[in-house]
Amino acid sequence: MIEHRNAAAFAFVVLGAASLLAQDGQWPMYSGSYSSHRFSPLAQITAANVAELRPVWAYQPPGTGSIESTPIVADGVMYVTSGPTMVAALDLRSGKPLWEWTRPIAASVLNLGFPRVNRGVAIRDGTIYVGTLDGYLVALDARAGIERWAVHVGENPTGHAITAAPLVVDDKVIVGISGGEAGIRGFLDAYDAKSGKPLWRFWTVPSPGEPGSESWPGDSWVHGGGATWLTGSYDPALKLLYWGTGNPGPDWNGDARKGDNLYTSSLVAIDVGTGKPRWHFQFTPHDVHDWDANQIPLLVDAEVGGRPRALVVTANRNGFFYALDRRTGAFVYGTPYAKQTWAKGLDDTGRPIEIAGMEPSEKGTLVYPSLQGSTNWASPSYSPATGMVYVPVREMGSVYFKTPTEYRPGTYFTGGSEKRLDDESWGAVRAIDVKTGKKMWDFALPSPPWAGVMATAGGLVFSGSNEGNFYALDAASGKPLWQFQTGGAIRSGPMSFLAGGRQHVAIAGGHALFVFALGE
Amino acid sequence: MRRTIVVLTLLTTAAGARNTAAQPGAPQARRAAASPSSDAAAGRQIFDAQCAWCHGNGGDGGTGPDLHGRLRHATTLASIVDIITSGIPGTDMPSFRSPLTERSIRQTAAYVQSLSRTSARPARGNAEHGMALYEQHGCASCHVIDGRGGILGPELTSIGSRRGAAHLREAIVKPAASHPPGYLVVRAAPASGPEIRGIRVAEDVFWIHIRDASGALHTLQKSELKSLDREIDASLMPSYASRVNDPDLDDLVAYLSTLRGTR
Repeated sequence: MIEHRNAAAFAFVVLGAASLLAQDGQWPMYSGSYSSHRFSPLAQITAANVAELRPVWAYQPPGTGSIESTPIVADGVMYVTSGPTMVAALDLRSGKPLWEWTRPIAASVLNLGFPRVNRGVAIRDGTIYVGTLDGYLVALDARAGIERWAVHVGENPTGHAITAAPLVVDDKVIVGISGGEAGIRGFLDAYDAKSGKPLWRFWTVPSPGEPGSESWPGDSWVHGGGATWLTGSYDPALKLLYWGTGNPGPDWNGDARKGDNLYTSSLVAIDVGTGKPRWHFQFTPHDVHDWDANQIPLLVDAEVGGRPRALVVTANRNGFFYALDRRTGAFVYGTPYAKQTWAKGLDDTGRPIEIAGMEPSEKGTLVYPSLQGSTNWASPSYSPATGMVYVPVREMGSVYFKTPTEYRPGTYFTGGSEKRLDDESWGAVRAIDVKTGKKMWDFALPSPPWAGVMATAGGLVFSGSNEGNFYALDAASGKPLWQFQTGGAIRSGPMSFLAGGRQHVAIAGGHALFVFALGE
Repeated sequence: MRRTIVVLTLLTTAAGARNTAAQPGAPQARRAAASPSSDAAAGRQIFDAQCAWCHGNGGDGGTGPDLHGRLRHATTLASIVDIITSGIPGTDMPSFRSPLTERSIRQTAAYVQSLSRTSARPARGNAEHGMALYEQHGCASCHVIDGRGGILGPELTSIGSRRGAAHLREAIVKPAASHPPGYLVVRAAPASGPEIRGIRVAEDVFWIHIRDASGALHTLQKSELKSLDREIDASLMPSYASRVNDPDLDDLVAYLSTLRGTR
């Protein structure tokens, strides 16, 4: 039974090209589908009845800290994670844990540049895959939470860690690595889903002699960064993975790494069979503001300028929204979607036309956006019904400082700091027309958000706020229709599933997971 | 936009002040260089870039405390290193583990220690007279010291250990120049009735709670407001520039500087 339902879900995601979500009410992977739309095809909850949405259960995992996970739902069970690394299997109707698995994580385990969190799991054939803060990929039996195998992905004493949800493609588990503030050399790994055997590794920073190595002087590539700390997307027809890469190292002091620093702050299309790059697009050449490009790319088929295009679109941390041809990586269009003061615009190839004097300095340089970017890891969403991309936007500037730095294993390798302009900062869920990149509406928030967004076939957009609100907006207009105060900052992504034939919506606020449904 | 200008001005002022402040600091730097820790000179440069934002140039104090004289949270070089590395929970002092290397932290700590070994400069004014002025001007109607006073403004019981004299002076003369977190001024226009202006006590996406100058708390649903504005460059506290003359201002600042907390 388990295998059959998994197979059905898998067949669907392979077949669909645009909206790849399982129709049977599951949420089978971190971003909902390979195209990462975070679009739920469920339409029981609509603008007309969303006011009746009520909490039906909540779950509080062991430990403390914010839950930053998006749960998955597969084979009638929800799997959610919490920090530093724990996984819980929850019954969909009672909310009771069927099992809880906790990785022993010592206080000495390093998390340089990010909190001690875990953002989710992947599932295939009755096996749950989770990355651990201490740098392992672990396979758990989905029925009982018992470990089947574990492989060592990265050395934690040098700052390697895993917080991102892995991605399963066919018989492979793809997993990214964190540690861009610790001077790691980034990579993306594929492991055999059954045995955990390593299949390939793509280094995001090339070694001398490889293409792109000319963009790194001397041995600066060795600690060049380019972490792969969020889950990417996948096109089953092209057999290409789309994965964002993080900042070059050191973050704010680029003196020792003059050059473009490929493939950092880039999107890379990688052949899933071989791990070889097919194309890359660098959003921020020689980044000195920590503008990672790990934001989750959306695979969208849309008409641009009257021509049907197979696109990959992304709202980048650097303040620009990009549409690329996902076959070739060719630049289709790019436009600022938030306040930015570092570039005059983009040239015909999509390369930024930079304004002089915007790099961090000893005395401080005021630049928009802040180092956390115009958006960050909180997931965007795309609705094929409205043709809009919904982006959690952070409107904030920073004074950037540059400091001397030296590489020491297992310590910060950043070369600077920032002074954020908190007083005047704000946030929004911003709707962007995927055909043009133009803003359609804004739903303003009191502070720059860390919550993901989900659009639904019911014509709704769900998201959250730092102030604890979980809310539903009209997908066409952005008008608020419903809200619930969770009592804790929302730093997680909403998702939707069917249980007992009824549509449910889930979100984590603070250290609790909340599940909502309409009254019966 | 206005905020931007404020920050840029601050940077320019800080850069300018650094040149003039170099003279009084020089003997200390020389003494530090002669001591076992020659790190202090290098530490001063790091301090000016990373710490002067809050602690003022030369550690004279600002929104953060003056670092001359006995330090409240640290007595040894190792404990200063710990504080720079990890910050002080429950205060505005952040961790510098990310921007600074271990060596830079050690150098900065050596400089901070050299400051703490100089005697705290006594405030210019007469603290006793300042206390009388505090009573006379009715400051206690909005501020609490040692459990007594009003709640509209920040508590001042330990303000002297948390802010430098220059900042205290500015807060009295130009209270709108900066405000502590939790004292943002907002203005709300309900659908009917008079406008409400006051301190933002709490806010989420849909609700806002405002305490007005009379102390009354207003709970407002944002969807029912005609407008809601944040006045990021405003303060509910009036300026005392024209009410207190310069010598009295010195006395008031001297008094506030003596407030080091009851614990």
